[in-house]
Amino acid sequence: MTATLTGDVLEDQQARPRTGRRWLRPLGSYTLTVFVLLNLNFFLPRTLPGNPIEILAAQASPGQGGEEARAALEAYYGLDLPLLQQYVNYLTGLLRGDLGQSVTENRPVRDLIFERLPWTLLLIGTAIGLASLVGVVAGIHSGWRRGKNMDRGLLTLFLSLRTIPEFFLGSMVLFVFAVKLDWFPLAGSRTPFLSDAGLFEQIVDILHHLALPALVLAIGLTAGQYLFMRAGMVSELGAGYLLLGRAKGLTERRLKYRYAARNAMLPVVTVIALELGMAVTGSIFIERVFAYPGLGQLLNGAANLRDYPLLQGSFLVFALFVVTANFLADLLYARLDPRTAPA
Amino acid sequence: MSERSSPLLVAGAVIIGTLGLIAVFADVLAPFDPQDPRAGLPLEQPSASHLLGTNDSGQDIFSQLIAGTRPSMLIAVEAAAVVVLIGGLVGMLAGLVGGWLDTVLMRVADIFMALPGLPLILLVAALLGPGPYTVVIVLGLFGWPRLARILRSQALSLRSRGFLVAAGGFGASPIYILRRHLVPALGPLLVTGFVGVAGIAILIQAGLAFLGLSDPTQVSWGSVLNRALVYPGLYFSPLWTWWVLPAGFAITIAVLGFTFLGVGLEPRFNPRTRVSR
Repeated sequence: MTATLTGDVLEDQQARPRTGRRWLRPLGSYTLTVFVLLNLNFFLPRTLPGNPIEILAAQASPGQGGEEARAALEAYYGLDLPLLQQYVNYLTGLLRGDLGQSVTENRPVRDLIFERLPWTLLLIGTAIGLASLVGVVAGIHSGWRRGKNMDRGLLTLFLSLRTIPEFFLGSMVLFVFAVKLDWFPLAGSRTPFLSDAGLFEQIVDILHHLALPALVLAIGLTAGQYLFMRAGMVSELGAGYLLLGRAKGLTERRLKYRYAARNAMLPVVTVIALELGMAVTGSIFIERVFAYPGLGQLLNGAANLRDYPLLQGSFLVFALFVVTANFLADLLYARLDPRTAPA
Repeated sequence: MSERSSPLLVAGAVIIGTLGLIAVFADVLAPFDPQDPRAGLPLEQPSASHLLGTNDSGQDIFSQLIAGTRPSMLIAVEAAAVVVLIGGLVGMLAGLVGGWLDTVLMRVADIFMALPGLPLILLVAALLGPGPYTVVIVLGLFGWPRLARILRSQALSLRSRGFLVAAGGFGASPIYILRRHLVPALGPLLVTGFVGVAGIAILIQAGLAFLGLSDPTQVSWGSVLNRALVYPGLYFSPLWTWWVLPAGFAITIAVLGFTFLGVGLEPRFNPRTRVSR
C-alpha cells in the first residue's frame, strides 16, 4: 500500500534535492502523517456515529436509562470539557506517555501495551528474518534460471500462497502440525508455570510456541522478498560483468552468488522495512488464530469488548510503528539506491 | 498485443461468474434457511441432507456458505465501485486540471497511502459498529489513493500529447473529448482497479468477520469461520474438515478468481503497451 510512496514522491519533485537534503522531504511527509494520525486518533471516536459512552453506559447499568452512569463516565474520561481542552489534554498526555486507563482491565493502557509489545516484536522479527532468508535464496535460484521449470514452479507457489487468507492458512497449519501431528503447542507464547525450569528450557519453550505463528506469518511475507530478489537477478542476467566473468572461467556458482546476487540484493533491506507494515497487519490475524499474547491480540480484544482507550492506544502504537518503518524505508532507499542519488 | 484470451482470464471469469450466479440464486440453491437452527441437530456429520453437516446450533453449514456468497460478492462489488468512483474522479481531476488542485489532491492521497491500513480499518470498524456498510465505507475511504495516482499519471501523459489539444482546437466539446478520448484511454485502468479492489475487499471483509467485527446477524464466509474457530472443541474432532475448510476455500477461491481476472486483464489494458512515448 505504501510501497509506491517513495517512487511517487521522488518522481513528483520538480528539481532534484541537493546532497544531504534528501532526507528532508521524507521527514516532512513523515511528520505530516504522524500529525494526521494523532488527529485521527482524537477526532474519529468523537465524530463517528456509535457513541462509545452510550455503549459503556449501557454496560454499566443494564436496563436502566443510564443517565447518571453516562454523566459520570463523561466526566471520568474528560468528555464534558470543551473540545479544545480535551485536545490539549490528549496531546500533553501523549507527551507524558499517558494513554489513559483501560476500561475492561482497569489498568493503564501503557502498561498493557508494554507487556504485549515484546511478543509481537519477537513474532514479527522472526517472521521477517525467515521470510527474507527463504525469499532471497529462492529469488536467486529462480531469477538465475528464469523461465525454467523451477522458476515457474516457485513463482506459482509463492503467488498462490499469497492469495490464501492468513487466518485460514494459520488454522490449517495449526490443525496439521499442532493437532494431528502434535509437534507444536496449540496456543499461547509459553507454557504456564514453567518459571521454575532452567533458562535453557524456558527459551526452548518460547521458541517451540513461536514456531508455527512465525512460520505462517513468514509464508505471507516471503512472496514480496522473493519477487524483488527474482526481478533483481533477472535484470542482472545480461550484465557485461557476467560475460567477462564467464570468459575468465569463473564458476557458475561464483558468478551467481558473488557477482549477480550481490548486485541484485540492494533493495532487500528496503523491502524488509516495508514488510514491517505488512507483518503488523498479518500479526493481528495470526495472533488471534494462535492465541499469541501480542499487541494484535490486545487490539482484537479491545475492538471486540469496545474498550476504547485500549483500542485507541494500541492503534496508535501500531500505526506509529508502521509509519516509522515506512519512513526508515524511504531513507534507506534514498541512501542505498544510487539511481535516486543526485546527478 | 494479442487479442487471444489468456487462460488466466478465462479461469478468473469462470470463477467469478459462477460465484456471481450462486450469489444471485442463493435462496433457490440453499437447501435450508441458513439462519434456521432447526435445520438439523447440533453438530451433525455430513450426510445426504446436510452436505457439510451442521454447526453448534444446528444450522446447515452448506446453506450458510451458499448464502454467504451474496454478502461477500455484494460488498466486494460495492467497495470496488466506491473506490473506482472516488479514485477515478480524483485522479482525472488531478491529472487533467493540474495546478494547485493536483498538488493538494496528491498530497492528500500520499497521506492516505501512508496511513496503516488494517489497524485503521479495525479502529473505524469498531467505532462504527457492525453494519452492512461498514466495510464498504472503510474500504472506499482508504482504497482510493492508489487508483487515483495511476489514473493521474495516465491522464497527465494523455494531456501532454497532441490529439487532445488538436481536438479542442477543432472545437470539440469537453463532453465529446471525455467520451471519445478519455474514457477509452482511462476506462481499462478503472476496470483493472475495480477487479483489484474487489479481491482485496473479499479478504478484508472476511478478515473483519473472522475477528468478530462484522454484522453478527449476517451470514458470511468470514462469520462461519469466526463461529467455527471460537467453538472450543473444534480442533479435537473431525468437525474442522467440514466446518472450517470449506469456508476457507470459498474465500480463497473468490480471491483467486479476482486475482486471475486482474492478471488476465493486465496485458490487454496495460498502459505501457498502449501509450506511445
